[in-house]
Amino acid sequence: MLDFTEESLKKVLTRYNVALEKEMTPEEAAEELYPKDELIYPIAKAIFEGEEDDVVEGLQAAIDAGKEAITLIDDALMVGMAVVTKLYDDGVIFLPNVMMSADAMLDGIEFCKENSDTAPETKGTVVCHVAEGDVHDIGKNIVTALLRANGFDVVDLGRDCPVDEVVAAVEENKPIMVTGTALMTTTMYAFKEVNDKLVEKGLNVPFACGGGAVNQDFVAQYELGVYGEEAADAPKIADAIIAGSNIAALREAFHKH
Amino acid sequence: MVANRYTSMAYESADEMSFGKTKHPVKTGLGLEIGAGYTIPEVNYAPRPEAGASKEKLIKEYERITTDIMQRMVQVGFPAVILETEHVQQMSNNPDWGAEVAHAQKTIMEEYHDEYGIKCALRHTIGDIRENRDFLQLRGDKYSVFMEAFEKCAENGADLLSVESMGGKEVFDYAILRNDIAGMLYGIGCLGTLDMDMIWSDIAAVAKKTGTIAAGDTDCAQANTAMFIAGGLLDKNLAHTLAIIARAISAPRSLAAYENGAVGPGKDCGYENVIVKSITGMPMAQEGKTSTCAHSDVMGNLIMQCCDVWSNESVEYHGEFGGTSVQCWGESLAYDCALMNTALETGNEKVLRDMFMLSDRYRDPQGYVLAYDNAYKVGEAIVKDGDNIYLRAKNAAIECCNIVEEGVAGKLAISRFEAGALKDAKAALDALPDDMDQFMDDCLTKYQSEVKVFLPENYGF
Repeated sequence: MLDFTEESLKKVLTRYNVALEKEMTPEEAAEELYPKDELIYPIAKAIFEGEEDDVVEGLQAAIDAGKEAITLIDDALMVGMAVVTKLYDDGVIFLPNVMMSADAMLDGIEFCKENSDTAPETKGTVVCHVAEGDVHDIGKNIVTALLRANGFDVVDLGRDCPVDEVVAAVEENKPIMVTGTALMTTTMYAFKEVNDKLVEKGLNVPFACGGGAVNQDFVAQYELGVYGEEAADAPKIADAIIAGSNIAALREAFHKH
Repeated sequence: MVANRYTSMAYESADEMSFGKTKHPVKTGLGLEIGAGYTIPEVNYAPRPEAGASKEKLIKEYERITTDIMQRMVQVGFPAVILETEHVQQMSNNPDWGAEVAHAQKTIMEEYHDEYGIKCALRHTIGDIRENRDFLQLRGDKYSVFMEAFEKCAENGADLLSVESMGGKEVFDYAILRNDIAGMLYGIGCLGTLDMDMIWSDIAAVAKKTGTIAAGDTDCAQANTAMFIAGGLLDKNLAHTLAIIARAISAPRSLAAYENGAVGPGKDCGYENVIVKSITGMPMAQEGKTSTCAHSDVMGNLIMQCCDVWSNESVEYHGEFGGTSVQCWGESLAYDCALMNTALETGNEKVLRDMFMLSDRYRDPQGYVLAYDNAYKVGEAIVKDGDNIYLRAKNAAIECCNIVEEGVAGKLAISRFEAGALKDAKAALDALPDDMDQFMDDCLTKYQSEVKVFLPENYGF
């Protein structure tokens, strides 16, 4: 069977991921980012490690030491999650780590709510759905997890979501952004209908779309459309909206082609 | 029908395998014989979004697509072609739509065959419509519509029947995002195989009744989901070592189609098909460097190594500088096949096979395991416990880990992250029981509790 020598192999392909790999391990990188407070540190670390039970244990210890449960959402859980999202953005950890951390964080938020009389404040609400006729929802599930991990409240309308249901959810929840995902070219046409009905009702909310067969050219055809190439763009678009970006500015920042 | 499990390999050695040749060629369509010493381009397409607005618009769109492809094939002098129509949901939910599209396409293909003698066949890939908005509904009300879609297409012109079935996907989608090897094994290897057994015995019965070919399935819903999430070298969404474990597990799952009456050619996007071919000796479609219209991959040449049918996966129908998209991609596929067929006719197929394979062998662990010599080893691990759907899937996963480890000891470079994921996966596999009943019971309890959309009744539990 034919084979390369080490030298000839280098002339045919390059493993850029191996060549560019960070020196620091994920655990070492996380350790540098954890808060130093002895009550907060174990909670942030448990979030990074995706250990739900340890998160709740850490929260209970902090509450026993006099911390307000509701403040621990921002002061501990979101701090731990910020470590996770930074390391993901930096390419130090991978998506499954973020998903497991997000699961742990959501358990932590529920625990804090159960132990408090006040409702937590979020950065804003985002309505997420999969296009009508499309049942492929793994992309949407990643988007919702990343949005929640970044402190947004998510109204998840699920898959194969009728156009009118999306419009009704926008009227009811007043989101800062709507997301739509689709795998198939034939179903993404529903995005245009969502757009038209939102515009007709004067609901000019940015409508971030992406997934499988969706492309920038298609999304740019409708007034509210903002194309997100990666699921990880969703929280970045939402952050940009909070910072004041309008649809034109969002397209300028996120339309890469 | 009771599944006829494979417990031995079709080929004496990996080196016996090549593109264009199989142990069990398939005669079909208008003069075609697949896997009988030549490779065949298979053009796959998607209608423009607005074409789905009505049945009439959809049929017209497929007529344009079919004419364009057939015209280009004869214009450039290619001897054979397969057209694959992957149903949009309207065509499977309304079996009459799919049937009318098949009839319209086949009418055009017959005209070209009659006039020019071009050998051709029509594959219809029915959409797996067995679900409602919230749950998979594998055995529910839609099952009869699903089977009716196969039958009506077969009666109206489709020669090859396929599907990309989704059994096990609800558990797999949860597991793959959490590095959960047991969940991947349960979703693909166990739940997926159980569902494959059910649907493929019924599809094979439809094919027998209608005189058509039960062609094969693909683990697109799961192993390709893993491959796409894993993405390119710099993507940070999933370790490529996990993606290839999912692929290895998918081989015994896709094998179940052939254990229940399918005869090939297997579906193009089943990158596991090289493993399946080593076990069955049946013809397989593959896609790679000429399906970049649909998606990127990291083994575009390698995957041609043992194909019998060469596909572009899918392209939206629209205009390009060189004609319509289906004409451009069809022509590229056909030229690829012309090269492979030249190698076959001149006795150089093993040289070309090895050049395809070697150019991507060390690009990524996925290609390394699917290189035909290593794929053959995964096949041997599967048939070793071929009668036990759990053990054979577990064997495939363990053999995959071993192959990557051996590769890393040589010229295969992987990142520390990929190595770490591989080590964790191997440890997780080592911790699994050998007893299938225990594994199934443990998983049923765990995933019923953790995956809200998992309904055990979908699998007859």
